[in-house]
Amino acid sequence: MSLPLALTRPLSRRQRSAVGSAWRQPLALAGIAIVATWVVLAVLAPLIVRGDPLAQDFPRFLPPSPTHLFGTDGVGRDVLTRVIYGARISIPLALLLVGLSLLTGSLLGSLAGYFGGVVDEVVMRATDLVFAFPTLILAMAVLAALGPGLQNAVLAIVVVAWPAYARVVRGLVMSTRGADYVNATRLLGASARRALLVDVLPNVAGPVLVLATLDLGAAILLLSGLSFLGLGARPPAPEWGSMVATGAQTFNFWWVGTFPGLAILTVVLGFNFLGDTLRDALDPRTSRDIRQRVL
Amino acid sequence: MLLGVGITFVAFVLTHLVPGDPAAANLGQRAIADPAAVAAFRAHYGLDKPLPQQYLIYVTNLAHGDFGESQQSHRPVRDDLAEYVPATLELASTAIVISLVLGIGLGVTAAMNRDRIVDQVLRVTTLAGVSMPTFWLALVALYIVFFKLGWAPSGGRLDPGQLPDAHVTGFYTIDALLAGDWATLTSAIAHIILPACVLALYTVSLLTRFTRASVLEVLGNDYIRAARAKGLPERIVIGRHILRAALVPVITVAGVAFGSLLTGTVLVETIFAWPGIGQYAYRSATNLDLPATMGVSLFVAVVYITVNFVVDLLYGIIDPRIRVG
Amino acid sequence: MRISHSPQRLLTGGIGFALLLMAACGTSGNQGSTSKTLVVDKSFDMKTADPGREFEISGSIVVKGLYDTLLTFKGSDVTKAVPSLASSYDGSSDATTYTFHLRHDVKFSDGTPLTSADVVFSFNRMKNIKGNPSFLLAGVTTTAPDPYTVVLTADAPNTAIPFIVPNPALGVVNSKVVKANGGTDAVGADKSDTAEPFLDKTSAGSGPYILQSFSTTSQVVMVTNPKYWGTPPAYSKVVVRNVVAATQSLDVQKNVAQIALDLSPDQASSLGSNLQVQQSASPNVFFMFANANPSVSRVTSNKNFQDAVRYGLDYAGLVQLAGKGAIQAAGIIPSLFLGALPQSDALTRDLTKAKAALAASGFTNPTVTLEYPSDITVNGLQFQPGAERIQANLKDVGINVTLAPAPVASSLANYRAGKEVLGYWLWGPDFPDPSDYLVFLPGRLVGLRAGWAAGSDPAVEALGKQAETTVADSARAALYQQIQKELDLHGPIIPLFQPGQVIAASNSVHNLTSNPTWTIDVASFN
Repeated sequence: MSLPLALTRPLSRRQRSAVGSAWRQPLALAGIAIVATWVVLAVLAPLIVRGDPLAQDFPRFLPPSPTHLFGTDGVGRDVLTRVIYGARISIPLALLLVGLSLLTGSLLGSLAGYFGGVVDEVVMRATDLVFAFPTLILAMAVLAALGPGLQNAVLAIVVVAWPAYARVVRGLVMSTRGADYVNATRLLGASARRALLVDVLPNVAGPVLVLATLDLGAAILLLSGLSFLGLGARPPAPEWGSMVATGAQTFNFWWVGTFPGLAILTVVLGFNFLGDTLRDALDPRTSRDIRQRVL
Repeated sequence: MLLGVGITFVAFVLTHLVPGDPAAANLGQRAIADPAAVAAFRAHYGLDKPLPQQYLIYVTNLAHGDFGESQQSHRPVRDDLAEYVPATLELASTAIVISLVLGIGLGVTAAMNRDRIVDQVLRVTTLAGVSMPTFWLALVALYIVFFKLGWAPSGGRLDPGQLPDAHVTGFYTIDALLAGDWATLTSAIAHIILPACVLALYTVSLLTRFTRASVLEVLGNDYIRAARAKGLPERIVIGRHILRAALVPVITVAGVAFGSLLTGTVLVETIFAWPGIGQYAYRSATNLDLPATMGVSLFVAVVYITVNFVVDLLYGIIDPRIRVG
Repeated sequence: MRISHSPQRLLTGGIGFALLLMAACGTSGNQGSTSKTLVVDKSFDMKTADPGREFEISGSIVVKGLYDTLLTFKGSDVTKAVPSLASSYDGSSDATTYTFHLRHDVKFSDGTPLTSADVVFSFNRMKNIKGNPSFLLAGVTTTAPDPYTVVLTADAPNTAIPFIVPNPALGVVNSKVVKANGGTDAVGADKSDTAEPFLDKTSAGSGPYILQSFSTTSQVVMVTNPKYWGTPPAYSKVVVRNVVAATQSLDVQKNVAQIALDLSPDQASSLGSNLQVQQSASPNVFFMFANANPSVSRVTSNKNFQDAVRYGLDYAGLVQLAGKGAIQAAGIIPSLFLGALPQSDALTRDLTKAKAALAASGFTNPTVTLEYPSDITVNGLQFQPGAERIQANLKDVGINVTLAPAPVASSLANYRAGKEVLGYWLWGPDFPDPSDYLVFLPGRLVGLRAGWAAGSDPAVEALGKQAETTVADSARAALYQQIQKELDLHGPIIPLFQPGQVIAASNSVHNLTSNPTWTIDVASFN
């Protein structure tokens, strides 16, 4: 998963208030607009486009026209309907995927960071093992073992993605753990769990959220990439990646593959705009920070 | 060391978990019904032994550098790797060179023109660059550049029927250069340009953004102001001071990016018919070619670890606050 | 702070531009020389160039050009085998002994003469390696009474032998050269023969071409055999390239390749008029079956249920879905072979009859699972669209079908074990003789996969045994037609369609024909 720049320092109060002004940037507005549009399309799809994305009712390979804005595909389905319904697959799954990775990774990372010692060793070796395999290959291997399908694809990507969160959270927790106010709370008698939840985690939340937002785009790219290879969504599901793959079969009927591809591009762009703004707001001098896990 | 064992184990388990019979995937419709043929196949690939024994045999062979025999190509996986690795290496190297040149150049430009139009435009385009689905871009590029414009060939490393020159590096471009074969050189370059550019887009965008951030950081430093105050020409200020300071972290990022490029080429290789590791990995995985899949996974994991380790080391050297391990 | 264009960037830009220019020049076809090169685009299933092991579509194109066989087929006509290495042959009246008289003037690519010893070696080697093609000579012994006579003896009557012999897997290799490079024809060759790496680099045959380079992933290059005993081929160099179907259509339109073999009818429909497109029925037959084994499914083994399926399918619709050039499979034997049923005998949809049969079966709204491979493409067709259509057709009858696709490597297991409730598969001919299709009878290979155990239909089984031992072609044809009519009306296996086979070629290729055994014979074009 792509983490263009990860944050490892917790936020100061001054930095947190800078978030407000960032949202008025044009890029942020564009990002919000794009994401909001897609979310609305996804949620209200049945009201916006009449018709079933699976219905093979129309003549095959009709070029874009007023009745079929995006044309029809090789078995006579309306491409526009399928592209919009595709949002109902890609966006929720990406959210689910990132959510799961975030939860798993953060949990394991905070445990490792807070308790250190053996726990830390085990979690770190596990992340090393996963990091050793490049994303796509590991995802492919997991899918080959589990069998293709969207749920399995999500599982495969979660397996690949959680270490990134674990690493970041671990780093943040370790640096917060040593902070005075945490020690103070502990000295006052608060349990480890309470200290973790009340003092450490809120400081970790900011950077992790940035990661997550940027990750959403990468999640959609990876999911559609796997479906493109035939390992994710199964036809006739209107998933964008598999639609591009089908469209690639017949270059001359360019509309079948182009529009789903554009859909992927715009959604990911929207999320990236958002994440970029978020990151800039939280830490304008991002150059000092460390490791990239690049897709 | 432990990691190495862990990797072989994970690779082995994953490939053998697949619910399918390699014999079924590799024998024809009649041969599969012939018990003698199936038995011969299984005996040849050691599939008739119990799993733990297969793992032990595999690991022992591995210690001798024997990766087993591919069920698809019928030759040692090591030979397959020797053939496909240079292809991916050539593609990834070309992509990283393009990325470095363009990425650093654009990043510096953006930083030096902070918040002006150039910077804003670059910010949007680089965000677009990292948002692009590679497989879609590759298809669009192929269609437009090859089919509509005729500027680039459609795939493969050389023209049909053209054979590469004597194997020195395995890079068709360099080998042709060394052999003085102009025709093969131009053909090899023509074939590598488009896939390398498609691959490079993501990394260019990434490097631009990172260089920009890194340069901005350096720009704030006092010694830059001092250099300018001294009256040094802008070119020297940039070249000698800014770039040298800013580039070090950028290079380490590029290193990681190279590792990813090397190992993430499945989609581009499939579309451009580039006979490299990515395509090999995909074919082996879908055809249940167990030795090949394991061989590729292991090789790729080793490369990835090595690159990441080197980068970690470099980082530890540059920034004393971060220690390796 | 304005930045001046750094010299680095200009230089980079300049280099980039120069490279693009060179690239543009580099791609304008390099066929300026006098030799004629043929580029064939194929989506590879290539495994080897060793005739003793080769039995794939891509492999057969290559091996056909490198090695000769005793007999061959002329053009696309597979109903009669004509002389090649053997100038004549006779078959005994009981179809157990075939005697081939070899030509005296054949030489291998190294100049040595081809004799019967080479034929015996090649055939025995192929048999004993126990690879994919070995079944072709199962039960057949090869002997050589003299240097120019070869005798094939079958332990049971085998009328298919003249139709098996032209298969490129029975190509004759130079026994001395192969033996010198690790080859053996002795029993146990599956372990002791090591000649494959050699044969994948250098061919040792007598065919019109010799192997220049071989790769299972990128391309195979063949050049003319200077010592060829027959008419030299028109193309002095043949390149078979691994390209996916979508790119093949682009390649052939830009004349980067002259022949594209894997286009689907949809892809072919958008080609320009400066290309010749051959669309004919392929010999592959897509079929489905309802498992006749009661322990697998009480529902599908019910004869009335099977009739409900039989008459509920919309055959015409399926043929249309398969694309241009497809035809309905009247019987399980494809239209190009001896013994095929005429189209007039094909099944047609009768929804009323189907619903009545379902009612008679006693099952109301039954739900059954249809299994099929999800990831193979044959003649440009995938299984998914057909499966969805079958699901829709049977819904009209009142049968609920759940689709269960799986990658071929895993779905094959269920299929082979005879556990699929409903299956949707295909059969590609191993050799162009109707006897290849006896596997669909009860108790035989495909019959068992459809749960049709021996003894389920004594009448058709008896007909099958009779057809095996009948020699005269006309009598055989009649018998096979009878068998198919019986299968169509009472068997659990329902033939659906033969897809259209598309070969797209540039107009510069003449005498373009295709043959079910080797797809194309590159030496025959001009």
